Amino acid sequence: MATTELFVPPEPPATTAPRTRRGMPPLLRYMLVRIGLVIPMLWILLTLVFLLMRVIGDPISAALGGRMSPAKIAQAKAAAGLDKPLIVQYGQYLWNILHGDFGTTLTDHRAISNILVVNGAATLELSVYALVVAFLVGIPLGRIAARYRDRFPDVALRLFAILVYAAPVFFVGLLLKLAFAPLGWPVAGRASTATELTLQNVRPETHIMLIDAILWGDPKMILDVLQHAVLPAVALGLLTGGVFLRLVRVNLLQTLRMDYVMAARARGISERRVLGRHAFRNALVPVVTVMGMQIAMLMGGALLTETTFEWQGLGYTLGQYLLKRDFIAVQGIVTVFALIIGVVSVLIDFIVALVDPRVRF
Amino acid sequence: MLSTIRMTRGLQRVMLFTGFGIVAFFILLAILAPVVAPYGFNADRIGNVVFGTQIHPSGAHWFGTTVGGQDVLSRVVYGARTAVIVIVVAVIISIVIGVPIGLVSGYLGGPLDRVLVLIMDALYSFPSLLLAIVVSIIIGGGQSGFVTGILAAAISITVVFIPQYFRVVRNATVSVKVEPYVDAARVVGAGTPRILFKHILSNVAGTLPVIATLNASEAILTLAGLGFLGLGIEPSAAAEWGYDLNRALSDATNGIWWTGIFPGVAIVLMVLGVTLVGESLNDVLNPLLRTRAGGGSADEQEVAAEFEAAVGSDEVHEAVVVDDRDPKLVATLSLQDLTVRFDTDAGVVHAVNGVSFAADPGEVVAVVGESGSGKSVSTRSVLGLLPSTAHTTGSAKLRDRELLGLGSRALRPIRGDQISMIFQEPSTALNPVYTIGWQISEGIRAHRKISRKEARARAIELLDLVGIPEPQRRVDSYPHQLSGGQKQRVVIAMAIACEPDVIIADEPTTALDVTVQAAILELLLSLRDRLGTAIVLITHNMGVVADIADRVVVMYRGEVVEEAPVERLFADPQHPYTRRLLGAVPRLGAGNERPAADAKAEADKPITLIVDDLVVEFPGRIGQPPFRAVDRVGFEIRRGEVLGLVGESGSGKSTVGRTVVGLQKPTSGSVMVGGSEISELSEAQLRSHRGRFGFVFQDPAASLNPHLTVADCIAEPLYVQQVGSVAEQRNKVRSLLDRVQLPGAYANRYPHELSGGQRQRVSLARALALDPELLVADEPTSALDVSVQARVLELFAELQQELQFACLFISHDLAVVDSLADRVAVMQSGRLVEVGPRQQVLSDPQEEYTRQLIAAVPVPDPVEQHRRREARGKLLTDVS
Repeated sequence: MATTELFVPPEPPATTAPRTRRGMPPLLRYMLVRIGLVIPMLWILLTLVFLLMRVIGDPISAALGGRMSPAKIAQAKAAAGLDKPLIVQYGQYLWNILHGDFGTTLTDHRAISNILVVNGAATLELSVYALVVAFLVGIPLGRIAARYRDRFPDVALRLFAILVYAAPVFFVGLLLKLAFAPLGWPVAGRASTATELTLQNVRPETHIMLIDAILWGDPKMILDVLQHAVLPAVALGLLTGGVFLRLVRVNLLQTLRMDYVMAARARGISERRVLGRHAFRNALVPVVTVMGMQIAMLMGGALLTETTFEWQGLGYTLGQYLLKRDFIAVQGIVTVFALIIGVVSVLIDFIVALVDPRVRF
Repeated sequence: MLSTIRMTRGLQRVMLFTGFGIVAFFILLAILAPVVAPYGFNADRIGNVVFGTQIHPSGAHWFGTTVGGQDVLSRVVYGARTAVIVIVVAVIISIVIGVPIGLVSGYLGGPLDRVLVLIMDALYSFPSLLLAIVVSIIIGGGQSGFVTGILAAAISITVVFIPQYFRVVRNATVSVKVEPYVDAARVVGAGTPRILFKHILSNVAGTLPVIATLNASEAILTLAGLGFLGLGIEPSAAAEWGYDLNRALSDATNGIWWTGIFPGVAIVLMVLGVTLVGESLNDVLNPLLRTRAGGGSADEQEVAAEFEAAVGSDEVHEAVVVDDRDPKLVATLSLQDLTVRFDTDAGVVHAVNGVSFAADPGEVVAVVGESGSGKSVSTRSVLGLLPSTAHTTGSAKLRDRELLGLGSRALRPIRGDQISMIFQEPSTALNPVYTIGWQISEGIRAHRKISRKEARARAIELLDLVGIPEPQRRVDSYPHQLSGGQKQRVVIAMAIACEPDVIIADEPTTALDVTVQAAILELLLSLRDRLGTAIVLITHNMGVVADIADRVVVMYRGEVVEEAPVERLFADPQHPYTRRLLGAVPRLGAGNERPAADAKAEADKPITLIVDDLVVEFPGRIGQPPFRAVDRVGFEIRRGEVLGLVGESGSGKSTVGRTVVGLQKPTSGSVMVGGSEISELSEAQLRSHRGRFGFVFQDPAASLNPHLTVADCIAEPLYVQQVGSVAEQRNKVRSLLDRVQLPGAYANRYPHELSGGQRQRVSLARALALDPELLVADEPTSALDVSVQARVLELFAELQQELQFACLFISHDLAVVDSLADRVAVMQSGRLVEVGPRQQVLSDPQEEYTRQLIAAVPVPDPVEQHRRREARGKLLTDVS
């Protein structure tokens, strides 16, 4: 290589040239910064939860008022520390959360941390199924819609996405129940009573029923658990999948207009590869970011889906305690939700960094 | 609203109208609920006759009855009333609260903004339904009345939406506030409230209908969700669809469908209607999704008008073609009678009308022209890279193979292998998420059957060939880790990867600084010599043409008007358009023909601007030292004098300009205008001084508020500084329009209806409205076509002679500065390298950097440029 003949004048150094920063790899550094940013967000959420839950008055009178003598209520309040000044209660609340203690429900004396483990696992299971459905629905259909922009498949898919969004998840659930109940398909709960009793009480390993059933090793049980999961997963997955479809479509259309897509075509890259590698990978960056925000929607949807299908997750449990006016339980579960959101948003940031090198370096 | 509907077409219009229809239906239903509904929403009997529970739909009860024995139809109708009221109240409250907070927070910035953003983001990340639940527990306890119940539900939903409005409005404000037209308003002394409402809100407000409709649909779902969970309005107070669905849930397993289906369908329909409206508005208003706006046509007409004004439009000019090619040679690439038309929404556009030219092996053919000449379109059609709205006729041959009419499958083996392209903007032509090595290898592997490893080795070899230092390491870099010049080298490496027969280079150096441009052109030439590639160079820069072209094709309005060998074209242009174009090109050294200013008389003039020891630093990222953009710069400008400030991108020249007019606070040092120190004044104190300086921005399209008429734009400084009565202001605007040679009728037009040159005239009129002592012009002509630039510069010089303001003229173009400035200052990386009289700095530079800068500028004269290249070659080799 005879580069010496070539004219190489001094060029201003690239301002973003890779800096050989000593110590931390850039990805780790980025993740630490993101985690650092989640902490104030969590703190604000927890403070809001605390303040909002105190505005309604003290939870003990709200739950037990009229059913207990005032003296007993006072005693219960003192026991729960509710007679102390607000700021002390607030300090206690944060301190307890730091130690993983979210309190105990008033009505049935269950530790909230136990609710997190048992019912949280159910919500996690449902969310994962729903996400699988959402990805299977949203991403391929979004790509098809973008590819046939403004032609029949696109119009049909967009209408589908809007319909799926417009139908509340509990109405979709109701329709599914109407359709499947006559066929004898299970329309409520996480498993048949026998399976559930075995898995929950005899040997609950993970509280994720599918895994527990597999560990138990009975194929009938596995089938039973899967059958129960289908309808809730479809109801919740369709809702999220519709959103994914629209996101993928819009972002693909935008990246397809980019110069680098034309540049790739001009290099003779096949159309499949242009769509699949060049446009899609770039479209994923905003899609993942917005999906992260959609997790909040998924949680809200999970709450309704669980109530519809009597799926005993966090949302279903929350609904039960709301009806019992057990606000200590409500506060505990809402706090748990806040923590889950914090963890999820860090996870999403991590995925974004994997997809987009500009964030990493 | 009407104009938005007019912008829609076909499917979009159907969606919009369907949406409007459904929404109107529900609103009517809500208003007429007592008339339409056969019974009350909670009635379970007429007189003493009970309806009965869960009765199948019948004549008496079209939709059947519920488990509670109420008429389903009546509940659905009254439910519409509840939904409409709650949504209207919720959307209004959240706009009224969210928008102003977002506006103020975004504009003021600082700690308040940061805290608000944190809180709102935290709220936003929380599941909206959960938030609504918490709020409804607090305010909903025991609200059994209709009004209080509805208010409680609306407020629960509002709390969810305020963060959304806040985020959208704040982010829009943050991006609008750095728009040049907001700076332009600040320069003339507009106060914060005026900027917020007149300039920012009007531009942010465009997104509000979209968010409001999309939120409305979410509001319906949230309300239904609350009702479903039993947390909505008390059932005795109002009918609510979500609550009904909850009650119907147990019916579903028993095959009773009517109690759930009807309220459910009502929800779906209403959300569908509102969403359709919002979606279509979003599609229409989102510029990124528009198929093709007719933009640029005003500029094309302006170029044509400039030409026709100069030569008279009725003369017929034949194309002048001087063909000295060896007839025995088969051209590598030849176009014959190529036409391209686009079928756009606005009608058929004939972009290229019968273009013919050819490029031989090892030849550099330059295709030159201004906006609308069709130079890019005709070359792109060769590779089939035009959008599907384009239709081509004629012939485009690669040697003897016809390319036009081939599908992309047939073209694929040719693209990148036999014909490759180099694009104008290297930072967008490279895919940001893949390493440059990956992208180069991909192109090679698309045409050659070689392994990944071999492709990578070839990529390293290519990077070395195009002069990227440390290719073994850089091959794994991502595009954003390279400088602009390096990125263009990578694009070139990709273009030559398969040793193509033809390279089409579309404005390959336009986005680059002159020294980098010189290097890239040199690289292209050396590759041509080495590989014998034919190069089709598309450019508007006559200097670049003179530097490397062998033959030149001049295009005008989609036609070739002249073709000739380069020396001949420059020495003896035949076609009037070519003559006109060459005449308009500013050339370095032309300034020497102007008489030098009388130094003695100059020295007697009062000093208008003194900049002394100016330092401007921008805070670095956490843990990084601050970035010093301007480093101890000092100069002065006298009355009637033009100081040209030149430098490459990132040299800090624009920051100096912004600091001089008080748009940027200096870190230290002083700026004195007309004897008063302005660098330490607050925004409010500065306001009374604003009349003393005008500012002309680079991008005329961005520096005029799109929502103000031309007259309002020009009158803004007068209005803000309260100069004269309304009638006097109107007169002043008229005389200013006259001054910048725009017809008075333009006063009522909007900026987007003007061409680039006209817009820059409006900017100039606005800058001169207050008769300033000092005018700062930041690259005022760099966005304009050559012939238009020439006219604007002429006007600028005339006005300056007449009004005798002091002028700081910032430009990257030494030739432009040469034609205008009395003195020249050169900046490099924040420091002032050299300052002195124009002739001395440009003809006899003292500093090494100035010398390099001048040597790198290609002059539009092939003979002179070849001489300069020889001389420069030595100078720059010395440097490197």
